[in-house]
Amino acid sequence: MAGIGWKLQKMVDRDSLAGTMSAYLTGVAVTSAPWLLTTAVLMSLRIAARTDGSPTFALVERIVTLVYALTVVLSAPVHIVVSRYAADRLYDQRLDRIGAPLWRVLAATMLGFLAIGVALMVILHVPVALAIAGVFLTVVVGGQWLLLSVGGGLASPTIVLRAFFAGCPLGLVASLWLYRGLNLGAVGYLGGFAMGQLVTLALLLHGVARAIPSKTDETARLWPAFAEYWLLALSAFVYYVSIWTDKAMVWLLADREAASLYSAVTAIAWFTVVPAFGWIYVQIETVFYRRFRAFYGGLGGGAPLAVLRQRAALVTTEATRILRGAALVQASVLTLALVGAPVLLRWVGLPPSSVLPFRLAAIGAALQLLSLLEILLLYYFDLRQEALAVSLTLLGTEAALILVAHATGVTPAAAYMIACAAAALVGLVLVRARLATLITDTFQAQAYGDVV
Amino acid sequence: MTAAGDIVSSQDKKLPDVCLLCEGTYPYISGGVSSWVHDIIKGEPHVTFSILNIGSHEGWHGDLRFQLPENVVGLEELFCHNAPPTPMDGPQRAALERAIRRFRKSSGRRKNPSRLLRALRRIHLEDGVDDDLMADLAAGDLSLSELLYDDASFELVEEMAEKLAPKTPFGDLFWQCRAMNLPVVRLLTARTSPARSYHSLSAGYAGLFGAVEAFKQKVPFLITEHGIYSRERDIELARADWIPDRRALDDLGSRVPTFSPLRRMWSRFFRRLSQIAYHQAVKIVTLSEVNREKLLVDGAPRAKTMVVPNGVELKPPPELPPLTSKPAPLRVGFVGRVVPIKDVLTFIRACDIALREVELDIRVIGPDEEDPQYAARCRELARTLGREKEIKFVGMQPAGKIYNQIELLTLTSFSEGQPLVILEAYASGVPVICTDVGCCRELIEGGPGEDAALGPSGIVTRVAVPQDTARALVTLARDRERLRRCGIAAYKRVALRYARTAMLESYGELYQEIT
Repeated sequence: MAGIGWKLQKMVDRDSLAGTMSAYLTGVAVTSAPWLLTTAVLMSLRIAARTDGSPTFALVERIVTLVYALTVVLSAPVHIVVSRYAADRLYDQRLDRIGAPLWRVLAATMLGFLAIGVALMVILHVPVALAIAGVFLTVVVGGQWLLLSVGGGLASPTIVLRAFFAGCPLGLVASLWLYRGLNLGAVGYLGGFAMGQLVTLALLLHGVARAIPSKTDETARLWPAFAEYWLLALSAFVYYVSIWTDKAMVWLLADREAASLYSAVTAIAWFTVVPAFGWIYVQIETVFYRRFRAFYGGLGGGAPLAVLRQRAALVTTEATRILRGAALVQASVLTLALVGAPVLLRWVGLPPSSVLPFRLAAIGAALQLLSLLEILLLYYFDLRQEALAVSLTLLGTEAALILVAHATGVTPAAAYMIACAAAALVGLVLVRARLATLITDTFQAQAYGDVV
Repeated sequence: MTAAGDIVSSQDKKLPDVCLLCEGTYPYISGGVSSWVHDIIKGEPHVTFSILNIGSHEGWHGDLRFQLPENVVGLEELFCHNAPPTPMDGPQRAALERAIRRFRKSSGRRKNPSRLLRALRRIHLEDGVDDDLMADLAAGDLSLSELLYDDASFELVEEMAEKLAPKTPFGDLFWQCRAMNLPVVRLLTARTSPARSYHSLSAGYAGLFGAVEAFKQKVPFLITEHGIYSRERDIELARADWIPDRRALDDLGSRVPTFSPLRRMWSRFFRRLSQIAYHQAVKIVTLSEVNREKLLVDGAPRAKTMVVPNGVELKPPPELPPLTSKPAPLRVGFVGRVVPIKDVLTFIRACDIALREVELDIRVIGPDEEDPQYAARCRELARTLGREKEIKFVGMQPAGKIYNQIELLTLTSFSEGQPLVILEAYASGVPVICTDVGCCRELIEGGPGEDAALGPSGIVTRVAVPQDTARALVTLARDRERLRRCGIAAYKRVALRYARTAMLESYGELYQEIT
């Protein structure tokens, strides 16, 4: 990530509005472009289907939603461990040890998602042709997530962006062509969309392969990293489960219409975090990363205690500033969203009754963003248990409160909001605790031989 | 694997009269001090002894080098450090880190602050030793985990950094502090077999342990300083490459050259250990007046100090061979452990220089397994200088055979107390060239009065100056009459002042006093 950080810093250092804007837009693009583009394609397909009056699109949409939810959740532990493994090898300057395990795990992941895709299609009872397209999409998206997780660190973010900017429109065109041009119906929609994703996967594969040395150490193994970072994997898994838990529970508990409304409301609410995401990305990759590196670099670089204390104080100040800044940026967008909710929802075709759930979901999304930032900071300080605690808080509270909301007739968006608030609060406490004892924890957590 | 501070073996038949505390010596390592201990034990058959050897880590030594006399009733071991751990893979390291984090979360809940930690603070940051400090040390209320991972111990490290080495790289200081404090905590929290009195053969860790045990058990504590422990450590510290002298960052972020204050911290630490031992000891014995003066400088109370020179068994006067007009190559021997403190490298360089002018037959006699790397360097130097034929490394030899093989003993040590090998050489009429360390000058030139009148029994040279030693070798190789005179003076000197019976008599009285 140091490469993109340096580029962002150059933009910011121009000290002009254009430079700063470029940096933040780059941040937005890197953090949100893949899912924004994918969502945009799906929305376009939905609009096309609506104007076309196609009833089969609902099934396609359902398959796509489930495929994305399953791949995101099930591959999360693999992504986080693989990206951590790649980061460690970057730190060791042993890039030759990345290729072989990466390709092996990519093959295993795609095989695994082949099985998962088949199982999903069997459960959904979809026609064979549609099932084939669905399984194909599951395999492709599973591979995509994995390459995205390491691609951001190994290759330039431009490669990631280029892959999505090429694949998504192609998917849209292919979908429409297969559906309208060849009259393939739902299979055409899904197959075309999947082909676009395949192009993205191919470009990602090409980009990552170019970033890895051609000579690879075939003896390198990934499984020890799973044993070492299982807490990290669990934390990521729990967090991704928590993203979908509320939607899945509402689908199971409420009627179809209410569930559909809730899904739509939370999806739109999540769009409000895009600017803050970009802002956080730029801040973490530039100022915070520099402070962080200066502190940890000082440990091995011969800094005396007074210098370490200064640098630790700067890390603390910076982390606090980013938390406050993210809250401020998000608060600004949130205010606009809260005020403009009736207009916005009318514009996207949602009923007036969705205004309150939307407002609550938008506040929840803001708080979830903060908890995500806190988890990121905890990862930076290698506090895996604490990161897991935040994820578990989100998941546990969310599940419990959705049940309570269902029983009491309160909108599930309120449950979502409170759960996100709890997770953000727990994360804040843990981050602050770490920042308060940064030097002590850094040193006293160092093993001395095998004494404990 | 042995748990921290556990005693490895015990033959606890009855409470021994004296627990002898040997730091890395008897009965596992050959050498002057070990031979001395063996002599004392054999020479005091009415006293029962237990031996407590304090070593660096489990597995540091090989087999016993001495057959334990019958009056040794127990042999135990303590270690300053854990055995070096086998390298851990990622999952093992992660499990260890989790265990440490768990410990850190549950720590900091003790009702009362650790007294042992308070004692460590006083050792590092204050002067003076009193019974409060001894009581704190004896409390032993600090676990290794608390020392290594607790916040309270880190506060001590921070305070040490602020007061003793504010500009030193803190990472270096942190690890050095751990290395300094860990042995203290390990030793003072170890389970031990009691004894009726303690006798430490040095200050340092053995001295500290003996002092604190004696304080706890309210029994007498005796210390014999052969070399001066803290001075010997100073010599090692000055050459130690495990203390990084890297350049520290200044306030402006640039690098400034520094001689690491960590060396001073270690030096002060060892001096403080000596002071603790001196405080508790009923008697502080050393080998010569020169050493006694050094003890006083280091804080030993004058009234407690006494001099008991080493002693050797006297043989009948040696028969000296007749002088010939064309003598054979002079047989020169270095006798001792092949370790850096003996500066064998300088000995080899001196021999090389001398060999350019005279014929010498040189032997390096002594064990070389204590520091194999150094021994290899010595052999390599002899090879590089093209002197493999003239300089022979013959290893350990039976004591009775060594002095028949040589006509001149040469020592180039950085530090010595009162080398037993010199006395043994004298007892065989072999003169000595030795560096001006410990009480070697007194041994060669004689003490006041009758001793000095005997004349020199060799030549004193400067430390680490091979040219000096070479000149002395050439002088004695060319002037065999002088060599002969020195040999005669050597025998007379040892008979006059360094008889084994006198030494044993003195220690017999001391043991009677304390048991």
